[in-house]
Amino acid sequence: MNSAKTKRTRNNVIVHIILAVLAVIWLFPIFWVILTSFRAEKGSYVSTFFPKSYTLANYKKLFTDTTILNFPRMFTNTLIIAVFSCILSTFFVLSVAYCLSRLRFKFRKPYMNMAMILGLFPGFMSMVAVYFILKAVGLTEGSLIPLALILCYSGGAALSFQIAKGFFDTIPISIDEAAMIDGCTHWQVFTKITLPLSRPIIIYTILTSFIAPWVDFIFAKVICRANADQYTVAIGLWKMLEKEYIDNWYTCFAAGAVLISIPIAILFLRMQKYYVDGLSGGVKG
Amino acid sequence: MRQKWKRLSAAAAVLLFLAVMSVMAGCSAAGGSEGDSEKVRLMVWSPSEDQSRGSGEWLQKCCAAFAEQHPEWDITFVYGIADEATAANSIAQDPEAGADVFMYANDNITTLTDSQAIAKFGGKYEKQIRENASEALLNSVTLDGFLYGVPFTTNTWFMYYDKSVFSEEDIKSLETMLQKGVVSFPFTNGWYLPSFYFGNGCTMFGDGTREEEGVDFGGDNAVEVTNYLIDLIHNPHFVVDADGSGMAGLRDGSINAIFSGSWDYESVKHILGDNLGAAALPEYTLDGTPRQMYAYSGSKAIGVNAHSEYMVPAVELAIYLGSAEAQRLHYELRSVIPCSTELQEDPVITSDPVFLAQNETFDRTSKLQPFVSRMANCWAPIENMGKSIRNGTVTHKNAAEQTKAMNKAMNSNGIQ
Repeated sequence: MNSAKTKRTRNNVIVHIILAVLAVIWLFPIFWVILTSFRAEKGSYVSTFFPKSYTLANYKKLFTDTTILNFPRMFTNTLIIAVFSCILSTFFVLSVAYCLSRLRFKFRKPYMNMAMILGLFPGFMSMVAVYFILKAVGLTEGSLIPLALILCYSGGAALSFQIAKGFFDTIPISIDEAAMIDGCTHWQVFTKITLPLSRPIIIYTILTSFIAPWVDFIFAKVICRANADQYTVAIGLWKMLEKEYIDNWYTCFAAGAVLISIPIAILFLRMQKYYVDGLSGGVKG
Repeated sequence: MRQKWKRLSAAAAVLLFLAVMSVMAGCSAAGGSEGDSEKVRLMVWSPSEDQSRGSGEWLQKCCAAFAEQHPEWDITFVYGIADEATAANSIAQDPEAGADVFMYANDNITTLTDSQAIAKFGGKYEKQIRENASEALLNSVTLDGFLYGVPFTTNTWFMYYDKSVFSEEDIKSLETMLQKGVVSFPFTNGWYLPSFYFGNGCTMFGDGTREEEGVDFGGDNAVEVTNYLIDLIHNPHFVVDADGSGMAGLRDGSINAIFSGSWDYESVKHILGDNLGAAALPEYTLDGTPRQMYAYSGSKAIGVNAHSEYMVPAVELAIYLGSAEAQRLHYELRSVIPCSTELQEDPVITSDPVFLAQNETFDRTSKLQPFVSRMANCWAPIENMGKSIRNGTVTHKNAAEQTKAMNKAMNSNGIQ
């Protein structure tokens, strides 16, 4: 009895030490970026891990020195694009997943196969084609670029339904049937029965479809081209590391990196509690 | 279906029109006021500093002055941001939607010619450009005998040093400098390291334009340089500059000289103040004989899109933006080093140490950076050589063998 307890304690200690080491390794770069963002010394290279003096000037510069790299505008652009693509693609993903999980139609199997095969190719393979299609409809100039980017990020969302569909499949179909007997339409079943039961997967979909446009670089670069007023943060941060800017902007780059993690962190923290909920609102009888 | 498509494209055209109008409303400049002037729309791309209020709006000022000179055109300028290093790729991606007038670094010239996106200058325009620039500068934007741009500045790297550590005599020799202070060099960067090899007679594509001659970095002279570099890296006064460590060393005083370009001038000036010195590259001593280091040189130039709808105004604008007048303003507002022959005698400009260093490097201690397409295979091998010497995997014992391997890789087609 006693020896079993000691053994367990010993195992726990070992496991926790390993986890602690891994956690340190994991958090190290993040910690370093945060420290750099408060660093008062200029330049991209320092010989000490901890800054010699701390300052908030990097954050201030990011929001006040907007003549060359307009970070506040980039941040707003990205936020708008991310929010709208998040809403659109979440809707697409959940709708498609529901249809494929609950409805039976001829094209269902071929569609799923096709989606699987298409999903094997990286999205940016088509970026030049996407650019020319958007150009043909006149979306690549001026203030229509955000719309073009929203379309880019949400247009292909319907292909990544697999996880949500898998989740919907686990909800007993008898619940749907019961609702149908009571007079529900498919739309009502979807909104009133399926969605309330699938909170974790909704949250998951929202998070992934927010983060994708938030951090994307390739499409933004190809579509924005020389329209600097439409740049997203990814392009802006990349610019800060070019040889002309790096010495002056490196610490601001770190500050920017910290700032862009805030919306994601807020979203995650707010959504996190629903993760555990799962099927707790399930069915009785 | 067809009708629907038609309606859709009509709607798209309206949208496009509105977008263009809104852009125009945002940044239209004063054109000629006469009613019979021709309407012209020119899209101009430049780095963001050229357009920002903080650094004097060089581009807007020049374009306004240009419009004033040409009342026969009612010009609407549309500005976009693309720096010299990346403009060529953006133009090549879609020449038809690219800027009419843009700035590019001359090593991207083949990207532009391959995508048939850049116009050749000929006739009176060519003559005008030739009058305002040196032969070496013109060669940097000439391909197969055709002139592809109006050069407005040279693009190379030189040496910044601390005047309180080195005298004017010291900076002529790297060895003397290494005795008196600490020197940092971007040893693991393919743009810098070849300078030692060039010094001992190694060549790339003949004079830089003859692709068929290949790279000669594998002879006994190259092996001598490799051996010299192995000794150099063990010199306690020599520090490898990577990821900004040179600038950091300059800042904390542990390093007294670095190799960089005009883009770092503001930072170096801030650090060294009155002790700032800038000079062309020093000589290094190989087996007792001095050898000159050679930097890659290039230029930044103004190009015209071959698909431009308003070719004559576009060409005229490009020539104006590269003129002595515009270069002088560029220098005053942003310290962009001018290269116009007319400005070489200007007393204010010629007293600028960076101007002297950059132009002396260009004229005396540099080699034209080849822009033949096989050049693409030359960067990685030389960079790897630098890294291997630093890591100690290339030693005096295997220097000959490793140098030959580097040469082979540089002459290969990149896939082994």
